[in-house]
Amino acid sequence: METVPPQTAQVALDDVTKEYDLGGTVRALDGVDLTLEPDSYTAVMGPSGSGKSTLLNLVGALDTPTSGGVFVAGEEVSALSERDRARLRGTEVGFIFQTFNLMPRLTAVENTALPLVFAGWSPDRRRDRAADLLSRVGLGDRLDHQPNQLSGGQRQRVAIARALAADPSLVLADEPTGNVDTDTGADIMRLLDDLQADGNTVLLVTHERRIATHADRIVHLRDGQIERIEEP
Amino acid sequence: MADGSMPLREVRRLAWRAITAHRLRSVLTVLGVVVGIGSVIAFATFGASVQAEVVSQFQGTGASEIYVTPGGEDGGPPGEDFTRPAFTTHDVGELRDIEGVQAVVPRGIVPTSSVAFGGQTLARSRMTATTEAAFSETVLVSGRAFRAGADEIVVNEAAATLFERNLTVGSTVTVAFGDRTQNVTVVGIVSGTRGSVTPTFAGGTPRFYLPADPFYRTVVESPTLGVDQRAYPQVTVVATAGETESVKRAVEASLQADSDAAQLLPPDTEIGVRSRSDIVEGVQSVIDRITRFVTGVAVLSLIVGAFGIANIMLVSVTQRTREIGVMKAVGATNREVMALFLAESVTLSGAGALAGIPVGLGVGYAATRYAEVGFTIAVGWIGIAVGIGLVIGVVAGLYPAWRAARVDPIDALRYE
Ligand SMILES: Nc1ncnc2c1ncn2[C@@H]1O[C@H](COP(=O)(O)OP(=O)(O)OP(=O)(O)O)[C@@H](O)[C@H]1O
Ligand SMILES: [Mg+2]
Repeated sequence: METVPPQTAQVALDDVTKEYDLGGTVRALDGVDLTLEPDSYTAVMGPSGSGKSTLLNLVGALDTPTSGGVFVAGEEVSALSERDRARLRGTEVGFIFQTFNLMPRLTAVENTALPLVFAGWSPDRRRDRAADLLSRVGLGDRLDHQPNQLSGGQRQRVAIARALAADPSLVLADEPTGNVDTDTGADIMRLLDDLQADGNTVLLVTHERRIATHADRIVHLRDGQIERIEEP
Repeated sequence: MADGSMPLREVRRLAWRAITAHRLRSVLTVLGVVVGIGSVIAFATFGASVQAEVVSQFQGTGASEIYVTPGGEDGGPPGEDFTRPAFTTHDVGELRDIEGVQAVVPRGIVPTSSVAFGGQTLARSRMTATTEAAFSETVLVSGRAFRAGADEIVVNEAAATLFERNLTVGSTVTVAFGDRTQNVTVVGIVSGTRGSVTPTFAGGTPRFYLPADPFYRTVVESPTLGVDQRAYPQVTVVATAGETESVKRAVEASLQADSDAAQLLPPDTEIGVRSRSDIVEGVQSVIDRITRFVTGVAVLSLIVGAFGIANIMLVSVTQRTREIGVMKAVGATNREVMALFLAESVTLSGAGALAGIPVGLGVGYAATRYAEVGFTIAVGWIGIAVGIGLVIGVVAGLYPAWRAARVDPIDALRYE
């Protein structure tokens, strides 16, 4: 597989290895090369423990590789300071997690606006932006509900709104339908499909083929290595 | 897109949300600080009140009195020279001649063994020898001052009620000096004397005053005159109102030059010349030192409050590991996470400090009521207590906040 120059790709992984030290060394990723073009839709599949979440965390600048280079929006993540990596996450990346990861005591609007707090937006602008996003995901009538007053599917939609708050170029979703029923899962997948239509680069981790087929490309991981890339 | 960082207002808002989310826990933590700050303020208030009370007792009368003693300068403890009879009749006369001096009252001790009246004999080891200058119109309750050379005695009100039958003007008491006895007539009853350092609250001690002539037998040879003279360990100079300071300087000069006392005392002994305000300052500084010590001990109780905050903040960091991970995932820097937790602990301790002020003042007020002294607020200590409260918030929050900042977002988000 050809490596696209990091400057033009939205995301580029160059011979990336990630090891964890827990007594013995666990190699979660092993020499991975991968590029994500702007406005592409990529799914990652593989058995449990194959390194899917590890890959996502590296792309999202939550972590740095043991060796190799991870380039996001033209920046090499390892070369950035802790502060700049935080800013990169806040402005270029939107995360969607399997377990939603909402702040339990904040309302839907406040959860959605959280990235904007750290980006320094004013309260009024934040609220307008969050309310707008929430109505786009169909929660216009749930703005001031706390997570425990929302259903699982509604929570995941708040999380999607939050991921979009700072208008990031890259949306990363780790098993976004893992904790919701099939119908709700379908709703959520429609939202992700719309994101790509709006010009976002989407990277989706799943172990359900039915979900993965929403993407343009499916990357198959096994034991930390790319087994094959499928373009259905 | 704004690349600013989180404004302080947002830090405060988020910290406040975290605090109100655990209301009971926060209130209990704050209480620890309230107790600490409250006790500091209570002790400081009580100390300041006692000080103000004592000072007012001392200031009551005698603003124009100057006390002359051998040694014991600077309000420090008097040495053994304190009771040395060094001031001769000659010295007293010289002091009397200083301009602005109204009266000079020498005081000495007459050793006695007992005093008897109406068939009742009481042991009595000493009486005060002085001159009639000690009794001004204001201290005389009844009768008159004794006369020099007469077998007369003046007693204070406490001494007048010492016997089963009260002493009155005209009563005859028998004083025993060793194996010799002497009848003396009570000619006056006084509420105190001019020139006594004793504050008004010590007025309950019985005192007997004898004329130095003939009862005071302590004599030395006056180096100036070369003849034997009565010598006193203590002299009070009463200045004309408003001239205390200039008279004090003149007294010092007169005594240092070539007084009998200067020649009689060992060369390195200083002669203490203190006005009433010098003594008030001394007393004030002693009470001040005690107050600072006790209040300092109360500051220790603040440490308990600090541990309470540190403890609750550590619990909070552990419980909110996942939230910290979320904040980092959506763009919070380590510094911002740290600021959030520091703001939380400073808010807790600041609230404790604010609530501690009325509590401390209340307890301090109750203590002054109980001790029956006036209520004085120690303003400086309130400022110090609030300052300490905020410092405690920072210190107690520092380690938990640092732990929060170091949370690895990957671990935090996996945390179930
Ligand atoms: N923080 C960590 N510390 C130690 N080992 C880790 C850590 N994160 C992942 N690993 C190990 O790395 C390997 C890959 O883990 P990863 O979470 O990427 O798998 P995954 O493909 O997402 O699996 P799943 O489908 O179960 O979520 C696993 O063997 C895991 O035990
Ligand atoms: Mg995973």
